[in-house]
Amino acid sequence: MNQLRLQVAMVVARLAALLSQVLLKKSGETIAGRVLLILCPNAISLLARGRKVILVSATNGKTSTTRALAGFMATAGSVTTSKSGSNLSRGVASALMSKSEYAVLEVDELHLPLVAAASNPAAILLLNLTRDQLHRMHEVKRVADRWKEMASKTSATIVVDVDDPFLNYVVSDAAKSVKVSFGGAAGKHPDGAVCPACGAYLDWIGGLYSCGCGLSNHFSDKKFDGTSAAVRNEILANVTAELFGVPWHEVDTSTLERKVSRKFGNADCAIRLTKNPASWREALRGVSGGSVILILNAREVDGIDTSWLWDVDFSSLRGKRVVVTGERGMDLSYRLHVQGVENELVSEFSGAITKFSGDVEVLAAYTAFHGLLVRGL
Amino acid sequence: MKIVRIHNELLGTYGDRGNADVLAYRAGLNGISADVVDISYRDVVPGDGDIYLLGGAEDAAQVLSCEALRGFDFKDCVVLAVCAGFQILGNSYFAGGVKQNGLGVIDMETVPGASRFVGDIAIESDVVGVTLTGFENHGGETNLAGGITPLGGVITGMGNGTSGVDGAVVGNVFGTYLHGPVLARNPEFADLLLECAIGHALPRVSDPIADEYAQWRRASIK
Repeated sequence: MNQLRLQVAMVVARLAALLSQVLLKKSGETIAGRVLLILCPNAISLLARGRKVILVSATNGKTSTTRALAGFMATAGSVTTSKSGSNLSRGVASALMSKSEYAVLEVDELHLPLVAAASNPAAILLLNLTRDQLHRMHEVKRVADRWKEMASKTSATIVVDVDDPFLNYVVSDAAKSVKVSFGGAAGKHPDGAVCPACGAYLDWIGGLYSCGCGLSNHFSDKKFDGTSAAVRNEILANVTAELFGVPWHEVDTSTLERKVSRKFGNADCAIRLTKNPASWREALRGVSGGSVILILNAREVDGIDTSWLWDVDFSSLRGKRVVVTGERGMDLSYRLHVQGVENELVSEFSGAITKFSGDVEVLAAYTAFHGLLVRGL
Repeated sequence: MKIVRIHNELLGTYGDRGNADVLAYRAGLNGISADVVDISYRDVVPGDGDIYLLGGAEDAAQVLSCEALRGFDFKDCVVLAVCAGFQILGNSYFAGGVKQNGLGVIDMETVPGASRFVGDIAIESDVVGVTLTGFENHGGETNLAGGITPLGGVITGMGNGTSGVDGAVVGNVFGTYLHGPVLARNPEFADLLLECAIGHALPRVSDPIADEYAQWRRASIK
């Protein structure tokens, strides 16, 4: 009965996707998953049966790391993976409609416990957990608590970077985990002043912490050097793939940066995704040229509260030609002004781009990043 | 001028560190040289600060900070306390579902609200003399004792909760639920704190970008 219902639901979902593609010129991904879950609420559970499911979640780096891991797993067998950024339950359901031996799925932080409960994953890879979209997540600890509860129930092997104390806390009751440390190379966790396990003040020496309650990154199952987030994510993806006997893959870590090249008018743009303090800091580290466009939006997926801009140090932009745009460009323009970063505010990206020729580095909010890649100017 | 930013690693969840930066910046526009001094959890809070700043926090951090500040007398200081930092100045507040003793600077109590308040907020503040805008994100509802002046009346959002007001003012101690950071969104409020600190009125400095930003937020939140 379940299978019959699933098969009927999949036919209708595919039809809905086709209509969406033909009539609305959309990808059809979201509508297919949505229809599937309405007609067959346990579709994820049914579709996950008989294959090895790997879930990937994090605040930053989910999409690129999922893509890399899916590539690694393809050397072991057929792989289904998420379409870029489609990481809610409906995106997971939609991705699972394709048959395969392995499924490597990106999952939103708040959807992860539900998807993990439904899909009986063999492995879960957690990269990092920092402040993001606080209007939705509320507090970092709240997300960590939900993940910890998931970790205590799942039979999956959970791979984590224990230099992040929240992730170390998440796996403290897990049946099977692989704790990876980079020796604290990332430095002190920006939101890690309090031990997530016991609430005590957490003293850090560089990127190392050790709480009286026992939570510490001085010991781990595996230790590597990892200078950038991209390198760390590549290693974590390899550690996960190794669980399935997949040999180590050396990759060009630039492919793990969320950076895309596009030409607009006379400007050759290197576009980076920025969506929270941690991703802004990482993106700002990558800015080497003197011409910069910053785009700030505050739609739902960007986070509707822009207060966190004041937690990002923009001083590295002093002396560069900085043009700010986006729906909430004024928030950013004033923040830069107070930090002594001269900048020009313009209302549209199409206006910003005309001010440059040659190489321009564009740091774009989530919705702006996708807008530029899909629609262009 | 010494601007003391207290426990930013604990009380800095919602960008409240920017309040100190804006104060120092606007002090500079007034020809007042100002330093921002960061006091971490392990440091002793200096008694010679001109303005003290407390920001928003998650529950465990809020309790740690409150306990570390016990014994420091804020009553005669110029203080801006936002969200969790505001709550700890009361007689009691809740963290982790448990009632906690506050610092007793403001006669008020904070209890868990019926639901979490998340979104844009605007208040009409007679104390500052303008409409203040910000973003609130808290689960607590704060009840002021009779006679305690709120910072303003709520136009949009929740503020202290069902009472229709936001924040509290006692002497030169100002509490509010407005993040944003609130002083970046409302330069008039920053200037008021500077005036409290130096003890006399200041001429209104010209910073058109700040004014344009404040006006734009006021027009956007209705």
